[in-house]
Amino acid sequence: MTIAIQALTKIYNPESDFPVAAVKSLDLTIAQGEFVAIMGPSGSGKTTLLNMIGGIDSPSSGAVFIDGEDITHLSEQALIAFRRDHVGFIFQDYSLLPVLTALENVEFVMQLQGHSEAECRQRAMALLTQVGLAGQQDKIPAKLSGGQQQRVAVARALAPRPRFVMADEPTANLDAKSTAELLDIMQSLNEQEGTTFIFSTHDPRVIARAKRVIVFEDGCLVEDRRQ
Amino acid sequence: MLIKLAWRNLWRQKRRTLLTAFALALALFLSLFMRSMQEGSYEHNIDNSARFSTGLIQLQSPEYATTESIEDLLPGDDDFIAPAKALPHISYALPRIESFLLASSEERSKGVLVYGVRPQLESDYSGIEDKLVAGRYLTPGAQQVLLGQGLAEYLKLGVGDELVLYGQGYHGQTAAGVYPIAGILHFPLAQLDNQLVYMPLSAAQGLFSTGKQVTAWVLHSDNLDEVAPLTERLSALYGDRVKVRDWQSLAPEMAQQIALDRAGGLFMICLLYLIVGFALFATILMMTLERRREFGVMLATGMARLTLLRLVMFESLLIAALGTALGLGVSGVVIGYFYYHPISLTGETARMMLEMGWEPVMPMKVSLALVRNQVIIILSLMALCLIYPLWRTQHLVVVAALKGGDDDQG
Ligand SMILES: Nc1ncnc2c1ncn2[C@@H]1O[C@H](COP(=O)(O)OP(=O)(O)OP(=O)(O)O)[C@@H](O)[C@H]1O
Ligand SMILES: [Mg+2]
Repeated sequence: MTIAIQALTKIYNPESDFPVAAVKSLDLTIAQGEFVAIMGPSGSGKTTLLNMIGGIDSPSSGAVFIDGEDITHLSEQALIAFRRDHVGFIFQDYSLLPVLTALENVEFVMQLQGHSEAECRQRAMALLTQVGLAGQQDKIPAKLSGGQQQRVAVARALAPRPRFVMADEPTANLDAKSTAELLDIMQSLNEQEGTTFIFSTHDPRVIARAKRVIVFEDGCLVEDRRQ
Repeated sequence: MLIKLAWRNLWRQKRRTLLTAFALALALFLSLFMRSMQEGSYEHNIDNSARFSTGLIQLQSPEYATTESIEDLLPGDDDFIAPAKALPHISYALPRIESFLLASSEERSKGVLVYGVRPQLESDYSGIEDKLVAGRYLTPGAQQVLLGQGLAEYLKLGVGDELVLYGQGYHGQTAAGVYPIAGILHFPLAQLDNQLVYMPLSAAQGLFSTGKQVTAWVLHSDNLDEVAPLTERLSALYGDRVKVRDWQSLAPEMAQQIALDRAGGLFMICLLYLIVGFALFATILMMTLERRREFGVMLATGMARLTLLRLVMFESLLIAALGTALGLGVSGVVIGYFYYHPISLTGETARMMLEMGWEPVMPMKVSLALVRNQVIIILSLMALCLIYPLWRTQHLVVVAALKGGDDDQG
C-alpha cells in the first residue's frame, strides 16, 4: 500500500482577510511498512497534514492517493468506512473510551467492523499481550497509567488491521521510560504486522528511532531523510 | 455493544442521571396521581348523579329533547326495550314519565315536576326509598304520590292528605287527579325538594292518558367507558324513531364543569412537564456537548454517524425509561393503595354527599389509558429534547471536535 500526496494544500479561512496556509502544495510518497516521523516547529502544519492523510480533514486542493484511490473525493460515509478499515489513530491524550475496559477499547473498532465476538476477543488479547498489558485487560482507563493507556491506544489502533497508523505526538504526555517502551512496541508491531506508522513529534528521542524523518516548516517540506 | 456503552455512559454522571430520572418519575407520578383522582371522582360523580336523575343514557322520542312535551312519547312495553337490554354492559333500563303539572292543596298551588316510575326498579337504581322522611314508599299500581319535603311544606300537606294535580295530558286531553300522599321525601338540593312529585308509572300513564307510552327510557351502563359505544349501537339499533342521548347531552352543565376541571388539570400537568422537560433537555444537551471530543474520537476511528446518533438516543431513552419505571413503580403502589382505600372527604362537601346518599370519598381510577398517555407524554418530551442535541451531533466536525474547539466553524 502506498500513500501518494500530490500538490496537497490546506488553507484555513480562505475567504477572510487573514487566510492561513497550513500546508502548501506538498508532494510526498510513503511506502507500505515505513516508520515515518514528521517533525517541525509548532504551527508548521503537522497535525493538519496527518488529518488529511487520515481522512478526517479535507484539503483545499490537491489529492491524497491511497493505493491509487483519491480519498479526498470520498463521501462522508465512504470516508468513515475507509478510516474504520484502513486507518488506526493514536492521539496525544490517549482518548480511550472511559467507560470501556482496556480489552473492550481494543475490541471496539473491530466490533464496528462486524467481526465475531470470539475473533475480537482473541485479537484484542493477543495485542494487549504484545503491548505488555496481559492481566490488565479488565481495567478501565482511569485505573491505568498514562504509558499504559497509550499502549492500549496502540493496541486499539492496530486491532482492526489498518494499513497505516496515524499518531499525532503520541509520546508528548509520556515520561522517558514510557516513551522508550512505546517506541519499542510500535517498532516491533511495524516490523511484525508490516503496518505503516506515521507520527508527528517534537521529541528528539522519537526522531532518533524513526527510519525516515520528514522536516516540516511553515507548511512546506524542508527535509526528507532516511536513517 | 451500543446498549452496553449507553448504559455505562449514563453512570459517568451518576448524580445527574439520577436527578433527571427522579424529576421525570416525580412528574409522572404527580400527573398520574392527579389524573387518576380526577377521573375517579368524575366517574363517581357522574355515576351518582346519573342514578339520581337523568341516567347515563336516555332513549327519547326525537322531538322530546326540544319540546319536552307529553306529546312526544316512546312505547313503554318490554318488546320495545328488549333489544337495548340485550346489549352488553346495560345494567338498568327504567321507563319514566316526566312532565310538568300544577299541584294544589286547599290553600296554595305550585308548578311541579311529576315522575311516573316503576317503584321497585327506581328504588333499586337511585335509592330513592332511602330519602323517605315520613310515610311509606310507593306501592306498584297504586294511585298515590310521594312529595319533596319543601313542596309538602309549601303546600302545607302531610302524609295521608290529598294532592290535586292538574294540567295537560296526551293529545290535548286534560290531566287531572286527586292522589293521597303516601310519603314525604327529603332531597338535599332545594331545587328538587321544592318541586318533585313521584308516582307509580301506571298511575302517571292514567293521569296523562298516555296509554302504555313513556317519555323516556333511562338506561345505565356498568362501565362509564362503554357509554359512548353504547350510544352509537343504540342509535344504530333504533334508527330515526328514537333519539339516544348520553349523560353529556342530558346534563350539559356537569359535562362542561368536568371538561373545565379536566382542562385545569391538564394545564397543571403541562406546566409540570415543561419544567421537567427543561431539566431533561439540559441533561441530554450536556451529555452530548461535554463529550464532543469523545464523539470526535469515535467518528475518527470509524463509527458511523448514525451509530453515534443511536448511542445518544439510547442514552436518553435509558434515562426516560429509568424515570418512567421509577414513576410507574411509585404510582402503582400509591394509586393502588388509594384505589383500595379511597380518600375520605370531610367538611361541607362530605356532608353534602352523605345527604345525597353518596359515599363521601374520592375514588381512584386505575386505567391503562391514563398510564399510556403519561408514557406517551414522556417519550414525546424526550424526542423533543433530543432534536437539538442530535442536530449538534449530526453536524459535529471531527477535526474541530478532536481539537476541542467550536464545531460550528469549519
Ligand atoms: N481550524 C483552524 N482554523 C484556522 N487556523 C488553523 C486551524 N487549525 C490550525 N490552524 C493553523 O494552521 C497552522 C498549522 O496548524 P497545525 O495544528 O497543523 O500545526 P502543528 O504543526 O500540528 O502544530 P503543533 O506542533 O503545535 O501541534 C497553524 O498556524 C494554525 O494556527
Ligand atoms: Mg499538532
